[in-house]
Parts: sequence; structure tokens; C-alpha cells
Amino acid sequence: MASLREGARIQFRVITALAIRELTTRFGRENIGFLWIMAEPLLFAVLVSIMWTIMKGPEEHGVGVVAFVVTGYLPLTLFRHGVGRSISVFQVNSSLMYHRQIQILDFIFVRVLIEVAGTLMAYVFICAILIYFDLFPVPADIGLFLAGFLLYSFFTLSVCLIVAPASEMSTALEKFMPVTTYIMIPVSGTFNLVSWLTPEARDVLLWSPPVNAMEMMRYGIFGDQITPYYGFAVPVLVPMVLTLIGLFLCRTVRRHLVVE
Amino acid sequence: MITCENLRKSYPMGKGRKIVLDGVDVAIAPGEKVGLLGRNGAGKTTLIKLIGGVEMPTGGKITRGMTVSWPLGFGGGFQGSLTGYDNARFIARIYGRDYGDLRGFVEDFTELGRQLQMPVKTYSSGMRARLAFALSLAIEFDCYMIDEIILVGDQDFQRKCHHELFEKRGDRAMLLASHSAETIRQFCNKAFVLHQGKGTMFEDVEHGLAHYSEL
Repeated sequence: MASLREGARIQFRVITALAIRELTTRFGRENIGFLWIMAEPLLFAVLVSIMWTIMKGPEEHGVGVVAFVVTGYLPLTLFRHGVGRSISVFQVNSSLMYHRQIQILDFIFVRVLIEVAGTLMAYVFICAILIYFDLFPVPADIGLFLAGFLLYSFFTLSVCLIVAPASEMSTALEKFMPVTTYIMIPVSGTFNLVSWLTPEARDVLLWSPPVNAMEMMRYGIFGDQITPYYGFAVPVLVPMVLTLIGLFLCRTVRRHLVVE
Repeated sequence: MITCENLRKSYPMGKGRKIVLDGVDVAIAPGEKVGLLGRNGAGKTTLIKLIGGVEMPTGGKITRGMTVSWPLGFGGGFQGSLTGYDNARFIARIYGRDYGDLRGFVEDFTELGRQLQMPVKTYSSGMRARLAFALSLAIEFDCYMIDEIILVGDQDFQRKCHHELFEKRGDRAMLLASHSAETIRQFCNKAFVLHQGKGTMFEDVEHGLAHYSEL
């Protein structure tokens, strides 16, 4: 019991230290520092929603285009950044392998954690502004939104746990990754609701964990303005299986990792 | 006590594998200072990395009954884009030490002054060695893993290392990889010779050195 608590203390120390280190190396201490983490998702969400408003008008299927794009785009940037940052994460951080209390899982965990925190901050920030200008509904069910966000993050983490060791095994993966994250868009629920689709397409898409999570988030925000389709089995179980595979791969890669 | 049993390590090389360590047994008791001898490529650094936990063995078992430092050489353990102070802060955090104390010791030992505010990648190798040494001394390990090259500092640095490591911390164990008979004689009371994947421990340093020079 005592050793378990000691272990947890070390783990907490390591995670904190890594997170601070990551934030200082990525954003520096100049100007707004780590608040930059919000900048990119914000810019993306704002510019894409402006584009969509011009292309499609202010409303689509009864929901505001701006709100719809924001709710779709922020989680998608979380996924893309998380996965992008997991590529070659072991090589980049190999100097940290000199300290035995740091495990390679910590790298991935910390990077995803930072993306999750950044996305959530960006979300709160942008929603507050948009609600003020009446472009965004007051969330109908924050609990459901958070459940969806958590499951989306869990899915992202599970994919990162596979991508990180896989990128170590094959350098070709690095070349394919940008395309893959792009192809992910239709099966991530970013730009469409499941209810807009044909019943056949619905059945297929509901096998995708992020689609379920996205439906939860959107139902939590738009409430009865939309008709949600989601279940808990897929977004919970699929990432669990992916996580198991990822942990196994990480363990294998750690054995063969060559550190300069 | 640190024990390695039947330690094996191989790296992929072309279609096959290059076997670096092929069943090495070694034990380091508290306070023992072991000189690690071997020709270039014999696996000295590999052994240090395995005991230090930087890389994982292909086979065999390592038991660490005391705290082991990270391998002290020129590279490794630092983030080049961070300043000396940031690296010190990071080390203090992960080892659960008070940053104030650690900082004081590092400033004192390294004498790097304002250079500590600069990214570590701008340091000369001698300056890096000073920082690495200062940090590991401040953490206080039971056993230090040292690659000889790091001891090739200026006179002042050598004197300090000697004082801190061999006088003030004479009770600590050490594994020191070196080619220099002089260094081994001066600092070690045992010698471990690596050759063709196998290792032999010599209780008498002179015997070890004699064996090494015949390889």
C-alpha cells in the first residue's frame, strides 16, 4: 500500500514536470506563453465558420453554422494535434530515457493531456464569446457534453498509444499520417450529424467511436434542436481495445529503443 | 547491491544482429568502485546504459538494490533547447528535490554563472559535463555510472569532481568506464574487463589492467 502511494506520488511528479517542460519548450515564456495552445484551434474554428457562413448561409438543418463548425472543429484539432504530436515522440524525447522514473507512456499521456486541456480552454473561451453575440446556444446538458468530450479524448489517446510506437517501427507511417487524419474527417462526425444521413450510412458510421462522442457533445450543446444518435458501447469499448494494443506495442518498442 | 545476471544485448545490424553483450554477470556492492575496461566497441557504454536503465536488455536480469545515477557522459539527460536552470528545475521536480537547494549547489559547482540562463545546446562539452555532474551529485545517488570522457575537464573541474565524488562521497559505489590505466588505478578498487561479449571481474585492479593490456 505504501509503495503504491509512493508510486502514485512519483507518477504525479513526473507528469507535472513533463507537462511544464513540454509547455516551456513549445511555447516559451515570451508574451502569452502557453495560452498559444488555444490560438490555433480558435483561428481554425473562426475562419472555417466564416467560410461556411458565406458558402452555406447562417443556418443548416436548423442549427447555426458557426456553432456547428465550432463544435465539430475543436475536437477534430484535438485529434489531429494529438496524433501528430505522437509521431516519433520516443525519438524526440529519448534524452529523457536517462531518468528511470519516466516511462515512455508518460510522453504520450502528457502530450494528449496538454491537447485536451488546450482544446477545453479554447472551447470555453470561444463559447463564452459566441454566446455573448448570440451565435452559440447556452449548452443544454453540460454533463453529456463532458461525457462526449471525455470519450473523444479517450479515443484520441488510444489512437496515439498505437501511432507513437508504430511510427518508431516504420518511418513510412510518418508520410501517411497527414492523409490519414484528413480521411478521418468523414468518420469523425465533424461536419455532419448522423441524423442527416441515410439509415444505411447511419449504421456504418455508428461503429466509429468519435461519431458517437461527437453526437453526445452536440446533443449536450444543442439539446432538442437536433436528433442525436449514439450509444456508449462503441466509444467505450473500441478505445479500450485500441489502448490494450497500444500498451503492448509501447512495451515492445521500449525493449528495442536505442538511446543515444 | 546491483546485480546483473546473464545480461545479453544485441542490436539489429543489416539482416542479422550484432551481439554486444553475450551473457555478462556482474555485481557491484555498496561502496565498491569498479573500473570498466574494454576496447572500443566492447560494450562499456552499452553496459552502463543497461544498468542505468536507459536501454532494456535483450535478455537477462538486472536487480538494483540501491539508487543508480543516470549515465554521466557528455550527452543524454538534457533538453538542449531548455536553459541550464530549466533543466535543473526539471531534474529537481522528477527526483522530488527542493529546487532552491539544487540550484545553489549547481551554481556553486559549475561556476557557469549567467551561462546557466542560456539553452544547454549552446554549452561546450566541458560545460555540459559540469552541469551533468553537478545535477547528479545534488540528487545524491548510491551508485554513479560514469563514462570517463566526462572527467576530461579542466584542472579545476577535475579537482572538484575528485573532492565531491571521492572524498565527500567515498562511501558511494561507482562504475567508471575508462581506457586509462592511470584513472582506474587512481579511483577504482576492482576492475571489470569486457571482451567479445563476456565480462571478467578482477578483485585486483593490477590484474585487470594486465589482462586488458593483453587483449
